[in-house]
Amino acid sequence: MILTGSEIIMECLLEQKVDTVFGYPGGAVLNIYDALYRYSGKIRHIETSHEQSAAHAADGYARASGKTGVCIATSGPGATNLVTGIATAYMDSIPMVAITGNVNLNLLGLDSFQEVDITGITMPVTKHNFIVKDVRQLADTLRKAFQIAQEGRKGPVLVDIPKDITAQKCEFTPLTELPAPKELHFPSEQSFARALELIEKSERPFLYTGGGVVSSGAANQLCALAEKMDAPVASSLMSQGAFDQRSPRYMGMLGMHGTKTAALALKHCDLFLAVGTRFSDRVTCNADLFGTHFPIIQIDIDPAEFDKNVSVDVRLRGDAKQILTRLLELVPKVNHSDWMHDVYAWKENYPLVQRARAGVTPQQVLEELDKLTDSTAIITTEVGQHQMWAAQFYTFRTPRQFITSGGLGTMGFGLGGAIGAQLACPQRRVVNVAGDGSFHMNCAELSTLSKYNIPVIELIFNNTVLGMVRQWQKLFYENRFSQTDLEKKTNYEMLANAFGVQALTIREQEDIVPVLRKALSIEGPVLINCLIDKDINVLPMVPAGASVEDPILSI
Amino acid sequence: MEKEYILSVLAHNNAGVLQRISGLFSRRCYNIKSIVATQTADPEYSEIHIVVQGDDRIARQVNKQVSKLVDVEEVTLLQQESCVVREHLLLKVNRTLGNSEKLVEIANVFHAGILSVTPTSMVLELTGAPAELDSFTELFQPYGILKVLRTGTMAMEK
Repeated sequence: MILTGSEIIMECLLEQKVDTVFGYPGGAVLNIYDALYRYSGKIRHIETSHEQSAAHAADGYARASGKTGVCIATSGPGATNLVTGIATAYMDSIPMVAITGNVNLNLLGLDSFQEVDITGITMPVTKHNFIVKDVRQLADTLRKAFQIAQEGRKGPVLVDIPKDITAQKCEFTPLTELPAPKELHFPSEQSFARALELIEKSERPFLYTGGGVVSSGAANQLCALAEKMDAPVASSLMSQGAFDQRSPRYMGMLGMHGTKTAALALKHCDLFLAVGTRFSDRVTCNADLFGTHFPIIQIDIDPAEFDKNVSVDVRLRGDAKQILTRLLELVPKVNHSDWMHDVYAWKENYPLVQRARAGVTPQQVLEELDKLTDSTAIITTEVGQHQMWAAQFYTFRTPRQFITSGGLGTMGFGLGGAIGAQLACPQRRVVNVAGDGSFHMNCAELSTLSKYNIPVIELIFNNTVLGMVRQWQKLFYENRFSQTDLEKKTNYEMLANAFGVQALTIREQEDIVPVLRKALSIEGPVLINCLIDKDINVLPMVPAGASVEDPILSI
Repeated sequence: MEKEYILSVLAHNNAGVLQRISGLFSRRCYNIKSIVATQTADPEYSEIHIVVQGDDRIARQVNKQVSKLVDVEEVTLLQQESCVVREHLLLKVNRTLGNSEKLVEIANVFHAGILSVTPTSMVLELTGAPAELDSFTELFQPYGILKVLRTGTMAMEK
């Protein structure tokens, strides 16, 4: 059939089973939005207040559902506004397809109105990108984009489409079925044998999960392996919930704000088995001191992650689920009760605690939220202290339950991310945990919540300061609080109301449970302004340059 | 140990492919000593030769990171011993009545070509291994080199 470029885009989205896209209209995408108007029964378009949040929403949608998120923006500033969102997805290996309009082909390269070289700009933050200069290549380019976003190590792909291409017509041949995914690399038997040798020799193994466990859907296999190896488990920020945190084996996070238990286990372990993780500097802290006294087995789909930050002893390259399944066949059931006993004792002796002089602590609020939602809510976050608290004090039971910008650390990610997560999972309770600093970055998205009646709870830990930066100033800059006392005059409740969102306030400890209950009972978006002390720190903490094995417990 | 590695990259001849490769080098802080890109006999592909400075770990990382680029078909870390390695050099040197004979003498030792002679300058060309071009250049140093141009390294397995 003969279709316009815009109709081809719609048909290609439908081929990929896309039913929700996030975006913002503009001149160069007029034709695409005209097609969206006609396809509105099949493709739901969510219009955010800012393109950045459209990208974050597509990202949150992908993280919550495992499907590829899609966002659309116009040329020039529309496209550049996506960049932070694309980079956020890239750093966390999240599948996303970003579609941007561009000026007509004959205006490209002439500094035309709203023209920008978005493929040039996004090269470092996409797995790949395309500019389509021939309408006959549009369909296959979009198909390729979805394939690249999902295959191997996932990530964002951008497709830039000049306006005239979206109007031109050409023959479109629908795909009868999606091509089978490419077969993934699988390690040799020799590699498994070397891994097995280390595992069998180990008396104090340490299992560590990364985001790869989530993206490959390997949580069950990982849990079974922990049982079989009788090993304790720590999870990276990216894989909160990849291992059920109610399990006694769970030690908490490892890294800059990890638990003392995980640090002690690292100090005493004799084998480190890392699954789908890239040894980021926030985990290794001082990479030179990491893993000097135990062998490391690393499972990863991306060979470039082997020996990038930390040298490893055995490299198992491929899909985490497939490799763990094979390991489960090979690994004998063993008993490490002495080792596990040590771990249980550390957990007992070093629980996560938060001290405040008086009043409300985020720990209490999050623990109450955890109870009231039976540990089943999807928690999204912004970036900063509140993000670490959310990771520390909510109990994540399943993968895709904690949605956060781990790699790029994007303040302003959470609200858009929550919108995407809530649309992907309409039956779930979604709470965006924010700080007052991050909230101000993209707070206009409250209007998106009310416009579409998206029942996200925006929980702001309001300490009136840029807490994480301030904490560093306290530790390393002799309390010179440069620009971190925000002293904003914002009336959060009135602001929420102005955007059409109900607001509640937590001032005292006694408010915590009733306010959370009230918020959970409201069938629509609600903002909670939770006032906390500005001197509550994120602890434990590994100071810059120190070993991850030696966190400090007080400041 | 720091040394030089020659990477041969076979890539789809798509627009921007060189930018993708060179951009990867700069953002990952790998040093490009030289880069040569040419279309292959099959116009669908380009072959790009990159000389990288670094240690063994860097060389492996570069190889793996470049291999991940969607447009890249194949990356080979060339073993210099099993390759012919060549660069091309153009050199303009200061010529006087007094030094002219000396210049020709050096050129002859290297079997270099003399492309142009004016009363005040001489342009020479030489193709050879990088070290040979280095010593050739060095010998002209005392006479006053006006300009040197060198291609990057090309290598072909024997």
